[in-house]
Amino acid sequence: MNAAHDELKHDAAAYALGVLEPAERAAFEAHLGSCAECAADVRQMRLAASALPHTVPQLSPPSHLRERILSAHQPRPSIDGPRRVVTPEKGARLSWLQIAAMLVIGAGVFFYAQRMQTRVSNLEAQLRQAQTLVAAAERQTLEARNVAVRAQSAMGVFAAPDVARIDLAGQAAAQTARARALWSRARGMVFTVSNLPALPPGRVYQVWVVTAQAPVSAGLLTPDASGGGSVYFETPVDILPPVAVAVTLEPAGGVPAPTGAMYLVGKPSPL
Amino acid sequence: MVIWLFAAVVGFQGRSSDSQAEDQRSLQRAASGDSGGLAALYDRHGRGVYSLAIRILGDEGDAEEVTQDVFAQAWRRAAQYDESRGTVAAWLLVMARTRAIDRFRARRVRPEGRLQEDDGLTLQQLPATNPDVASEMMAAERGQRVRRALDGLPFLQRVAIELAYFEGLSQREIAERLEQPLGTVKTRMRLGLLKLRDALVEVQP
Repeated sequence: MNAAHDELKHDAAAYALGVLEPAERAAFEAHLGSCAECAADVRQMRLAASALPHTVPQLSPPSHLRERILSAHQPRPSIDGPRRVVTPEKGARLSWLQIAAMLVIGAGVFFYAQRMQTRVSNLEAQLRQAQTLVAAAERQTLEARNVAVRAQSAMGVFAAPDVARIDLAGQAAAQTARARALWSRARGMVFTVSNLPALPPGRVYQVWVVTAQAPVSAGLLTPDASGGGSVYFETPVDILPPVAVAVTLEPAGGVPAPTGAMYLVGKPSPL
Repeated sequence: MVIWLFAAVVGFQGRSSDSQAEDQRSLQRAASGDSGGLAALYDRHGRGVYSLAIRILGDEGDAEEVTQDVFAQAWRRAAQYDESRGTVAAWLLVMARTRAIDRFRARRVRPEGRLQEDDGLTLQQLPATNPDVASEMMAAERGQRVRRALDGLPFLQRVAIELAYFEGLSQREIAERLEQPLGTVKTRMRLGLLKLRDALVEVQP
């Protein structure tokens, strides 16, 4: 029960946001019925989630949208009203001239309709292309924001009053590897590495801040082709001061506590 | 000072429950086939629904269609609205979010250019665990403050919440997108939501 609670309580946020996967959701709901603590968490978090739609910039919809929505839901006029049946007058004959005029007009309408259809499908294709571009641009914006915030955060570490330097030395698995971490309790950690061996498939390097209590994961690291790289990690504010920083090889996606071989390790020294 | 605070809070509540009562009257009119009820609902919530759809889809045409769908659904299902599950405003916004994310997923293209298969993750509907209607209405009143609280969160906390709420990504998908361990994503989401909630219940000075 307690072990289940310790694991499941971390799903309360995703549950409140409606994004648990079906199996996770079933497990969480089963637990929720018997756990007052998680039920209270979910209530609180749902309250926060219900405010999220109100945080988006408010934009006025175009005025034609109101008409479109309301005209689709007008009370339907009765179909069985008085109906006039139009019967052609007997004896009225179409002249040759009228028939010829109708043929000409008919042909004109036919060609016009064809041309319009071509234009519409061209426009549709352009629209689809534009939508794809917009989606790509949105993703790039998110990535750029990501990069910008990381860069800003990294600068914050360099300038932090409590910045500490930790030089890491390569271990048996990677004797030529070197790394340096600049660590600030309040602003996070900048980590620069060189000469790490290429990652085996399905593996990733994980960086650990080793505290007096336990190693805390700082994040994952995928080096570039030369085995180098520089990353910024946001570390929890309530973390204990590090006694060491280490890098291990772990399964892709990372693990909650180190399991693999240690590649780099080092202790803090005054800057 | 204390009296003023009290008056401010009661004022918030009073105004919000008035608009909820008004919404319910409009919805009842719609349920009985009176399109004036739908017009009143649209005039009060069309902007909110449309803005949420734009935020999720980033496209005006798509957002218009989602908005139209939401009010069509409200018209059809007006009689099924259940106040014990939340306000009318929240009901409309949940429909808007669900439909917009469904549409977003349907058109999402992977970077490799392959159309993404349905990942079997269906956005769950609003869970019905003791909704606190009064507080939820307060939430609507305080969008600005939550916006500021959201902007003030550490990067990971904010982005994890935004990806879950506005893109409907699961924790696993968020971990992949942000290149962070799953456990980190879970704790950041939790911390962030609890902080937002704190910002929501603080009494305005």
